[in-house]
Amino acid sequence: MGALLTKTEPTTEANTQTAKKVSGAEVLLRSLIAEKVDTLFGYPGGAIMPVYDALYHYQDKLRHILVRHEQGAIHAAQGYARVSGKAGVVFATSGPGATNLVTGLADALIDSTPLVCITGQVFAHLLGTDAFQETDVVNTTIPVTKWNVQVTEAKDIAPAVARAFYIANSGRPGPVLIDITKNAQNELIEEAEYVPCSEVRTYKPKPVLQHSQVKAAAELINNAKRPYLLVGQGVLLSGASKELLALVEKTGIPVASTLLGLGAFPADHPNYVGFLGMHGNYGPNINTNECDVLIGVGLRFDDRVTGNVSRYARQAKVIHIDIDKAEIDKIVKTEVAVHADAKEALEALIGYCKENRHEEWLQSFHRLNQVEYEKVTHKELNHPTEELKMGEVVNHLSKLTKGEAIVVTDVGQHQMTTSRYYKYRQPRTNVTSGGAGTMGFALPAALGAKIARPEKEVVAVIGDGGYQMTVQELGTIMQYEIPVKILVLNNSFLGMVRQWQQLFHEKRYSCTEMVNPDFIKIAEAYSIPARRVTDRSELTDALQEMLAAPTSYFLEVVVGREDNVFPMVPAGGCVTDCMLEPPTK
Amino acid sequence: MKQEFTLEILSDNNFSILNRIVNVLNRRRVRIKKLIAQENEEDFMRGSATLLVYTTADLMEKVKHQIEKLIEVEEASYYEGSDRFFALVEKSNRQVA
Repeated sequence: MGALLTKTEPTTEANTQTAKKVSGAEVLLRSLIAEKVDTLFGYPGGAIMPVYDALYHYQDKLRHILVRHEQGAIHAAQGYARVSGKAGVVFATSGPGATNLVTGLADALIDSTPLVCITGQVFAHLLGTDAFQETDVVNTTIPVTKWNVQVTEAKDIAPAVARAFYIANSGRPGPVLIDITKNAQNELIEEAEYVPCSEVRTYKPKPVLQHSQVKAAAELINNAKRPYLLVGQGVLLSGASKELLALVEKTGIPVASTLLGLGAFPADHPNYVGFLGMHGNYGPNINTNECDVLIGVGLRFDDRVTGNVSRYARQAKVIHIDIDKAEIDKIVKTEVAVHADAKEALEALIGYCKENRHEEWLQSFHRLNQVEYEKVTHKELNHPTEELKMGEVVNHLSKLTKGEAIVVTDVGQHQMTTSRYYKYRQPRTNVTSGGAGTMGFALPAALGAKIARPEKEVVAVIGDGGYQMTVQELGTIMQYEIPVKILVLNNSFLGMVRQWQQLFHEKRYSCTEMVNPDFIKIAEAYSIPARRVTDRSELTDALQEMLAAPTSYFLEVVVGREDNVFPMVPAGGCVTDCMLEPPTK
Repeated sequence: MKQEFTLEILSDNNFSILNRIVNVLNRRRVRIKKLIAQENEEDFMRGSATLLVYTTADLMEKVKHQIEKLIEVEEASYYEGSDRFFALVEKSNRQVA
């Protein structure tokens, strides 16, 4: 595809009088339909007007969701993609329209979310002239996309779309962006059949599984006394939950999950030992430095998982299964690397691994988690104080939805609390901003998730800070009557920053206290039924009312202002430094 | 310990490829001492870049994989020292002459 350096000269108008011609904008829409796109999230503007004009005639095939800000569009597309497995599609105009996508692109890149973003661009002859709403979008977004391209001729639009979908969805998924100049959108070209992309010469998305690597991994596992499986989102992306379950049931290995891996393995399984990382469970963190073989599947050993790497699992032989070769040995040195799709690798591993049980080792996790239960969980769920606690709210939600709802979280204390107390039981039901930690993610992501999976209950759990970053998307929820449930846990603080200030900055609450508006009035202004709970006696009833509502619903729960999330591995600390309560002076 | 490496990259040729490669090195704060980039003479849709960089062996290996992850990069390889780089410079100079 010569979208940038083109081998062929532009066709002349002379010999094409009889052929039916279509605009570049129409070619774009037809290409999206050919890629089985049904929903677009976007916002129009000058440089993408030809596309929106063409869209007027395609509204029966392409449902466009008009958001209130381009950041809302891209997070909605992320939510759509994360629960459906299909690439989310975004339209935005040039200049600020395009730059408003940057946060979402960065978020989607680090969290491996497939997106195809289409941005309008000024006429090709104006590129580089500082024309109105001209920004160098390709160079701006190179570091935050898996791939991007600028298209200046209509004939290059369909091949660019084909390549974009192939790249976004294959291998380790990610966001791609196509920047289309206005002249290319307007240009009339001969109608041509859409050709999907199945190969890019320089791109090898799916490594060939090396059985020698799998056998070496199996040998380590078969000889291990204390093997330990860590699962990440790669298991969900490759659809390997069944294979993971089969491997665990055969080998008896304890399983812990990263933040984005939640849902890949059922939380109610006896071999599930919990959630990893900075605010993860006690057993999974402490026993990381006790295992003899550590098997990481589809994860990237993020610093929020490892803590201080120089003191992370030094005693263990590490097996790392990942489709992205650049992840192997990036953070943790491996004994055996299996560069492969997680599903294929796990399938093969089941065959090579012997049946086994590790009861005593498994129980050591549960014993540690019992210590956590007594020091943290019991207090969180059984309210020694009058103030409501985030954990008990999420615990009620988990029970009322039987762990089967799609729960979308933002970033901060409520996110860590939800990850700890919501018992995700199904793949692709946990949607959160992981690697990027983007506040403002949840509300638009939840509306996108609900559009993709209308049959599922979708609950956005958000803090009062993050909620206000993209609160304007209530307008989108109202306009399209999207029955998403919004649960704001309000502590009138930027809670996680305040927690750090309390624990590590001698309680200097610098710029973290929030004077909030009346959230109920805001929701009601958007015709969304709303309720505020401050008293424990109302909590269950309010949650039931929210879940029973056939429409969208806003529930604000006022929680303890200075409550903290524990356990906590302090920044720079090691997994065994995991604290169950604030350090005593 | 930091040392010189000659980094050779084969790729597609387009307007943004050099930015993509240099971005990866910049992000890792790998020092670029010299850089030669060229179109393939037989096929201008392809190109190559040869860089003399100064970094540790560990980072060189990691950066190689991150450059190979770029969609339009076909292959990246590296060699200790500057011999290959200056051999290429000499060859290019002879061709120009």
